[in-house]
Amino acid sequence: MKRAEAGEPVEISLRINGEKVTCRVPPHVTLLRFLREYVGLTGTKEGCSAGECGACTVLFNGRAVNSCLVLAVEADGANIRTVEGECRNNRLSRLQELLDKHHAVQCGFCTPGMIMSIRDLLARHPKPTLRQIQEGIEGNFCRCTGYVQIIEAILEYTGQLKKKGELKRVRG
Amino acid sequence: MIREFSYQAPRKQKELLDILASERENARVLAGGTDLLVNIRLGLQHPRIVVDIKKIREHTAIRFDEKEGLSIGAAVTINEVMENRDVQKHFPALVEAAKVLASHQLRNRATVIGNLCNASPCADMAPPLLCLDARVEIVSDSGRRNLPLEAFFAGVKKTRLTPGEYVERIVVPPRWADAGGGFRKMKRVRGHDIGVLSVCLTKKGPLRRVAVGSAAPTPVLVGEFRGRVSTEEVIRKAMRRINPIDDVRGSAEFRRFLTRRYVAELMKEVR
Repeated sequence: MKRAEAGEPVEISLRINGEKVTCRVPPHVTLLRFLREYVGLTGTKEGCSAGECGACTVLFNGRAVNSCLVLAVEADGANIRTVEGECRNNRLSRLQELLDKHHAVQCGFCTPGMIMSIRDLLARHPKPTLRQIQEGIEGNFCRCTGYVQIIEAILEYTGQLKKKGELKRVRG
Repeated sequence: MIREFSYQAPRKQKELLDILASERENARVLAGGTDLLVNIRLGLQHPRIVVDIKKIREHTAIRFDEKEGLSIGAAVTINEVMENRDVQKHFPALVEAAKVLASHQLRNRATVIGNLCNASPCADMAPPLLCLDARVEIVSDSGRRNLPLEAFFAGVKKTRLTPGEYVERIVVPPRWADAGGGFRKMKRVRGHDIGVLSVCLTKKGPLRRVAVGSAAPTPVLVGEFRGRVSTEEVIRKAMRRINPIDDVRGSAEFRRFLTRRYVAELMKEVR
């Protein structure tokens, strides 16, 4: 096997939101940095860079991962979905519309990662319980403390919201 | 910014062993990356070559049979363990511990064996696997050996692995299949923070095993208890075996308190 020099770029080929992308990238570049700086998809955000805040969450072969803790070279051959894949023909997805309707977006920094965690959650639990929703988004910090609004948007999306504002009374 | 390194993702174990044998300390094994990439970024580790082990098919296997027990390969993630039917059916303590390890997206990446090889005193998978008497299978180009998990931990973030070696899989013996089990962990924030203290207890027939995390330089197996044993006796032995410190997450006294409390709860709960 040919021994590569440290930092020497490697060719990778992957699908991002359905589109095939081929690119040369040094091994130390994270998937997060690759998406933002090599592909120009800046919807995915960098928060803590340590796998705690979830702002950089993307789907890697259908599963939510922290893209700050994945190397771009590891994504060779993978299917990646980012928040940019939500929009169709310049229209927000229904999930995005409902997040907007419920005022679940304040500063918006957590939203792209939050949406990808919600996608992973809904793939596992099409009608998630409150507990499953809380567990599904527990890896995503929202510092504007908008969790109630986010959960209400998810409940409406899954046809489970009985009355707007009902969650305000739920504790814990 | 991460320092530069080269990357290899061998598809055959032989290639992996050759790389580890020739690069020795310069090589780091990459599985989930949730510890390694943070450590590289923080400058705590400076590998010249990062070797991804996920492309080797055997590493992704998780298997259970009544003769060999449960075998978990080097690339198996925490969520894959949690979702596995055999694990759910036969090893409830493992599922309980896996459920509260970090967040969902971390568990999609982090591996069980990575959690053990990182060898943090608070490694969540360690107490249940100590209780289940797991063995660690270590391979290098000069052969293979295996160690009980208890002997694998050598200190804070230190294992008995030597350069050129890696952990191919862990095996939980069949005698601990279908053991009752419980896991308790105190953390400050659900889904984010690492544990302040954890206790695992497994029970099968007349045998009980108890292990404690975040209370000594390594996760600690308190011991194996046979037959009728009082909660006080288990707590006394646990107190002798642990050696907690004061740190940012809690005081040594708080950790002793939690150990007493969790052992008492689990002695009642696990039948």
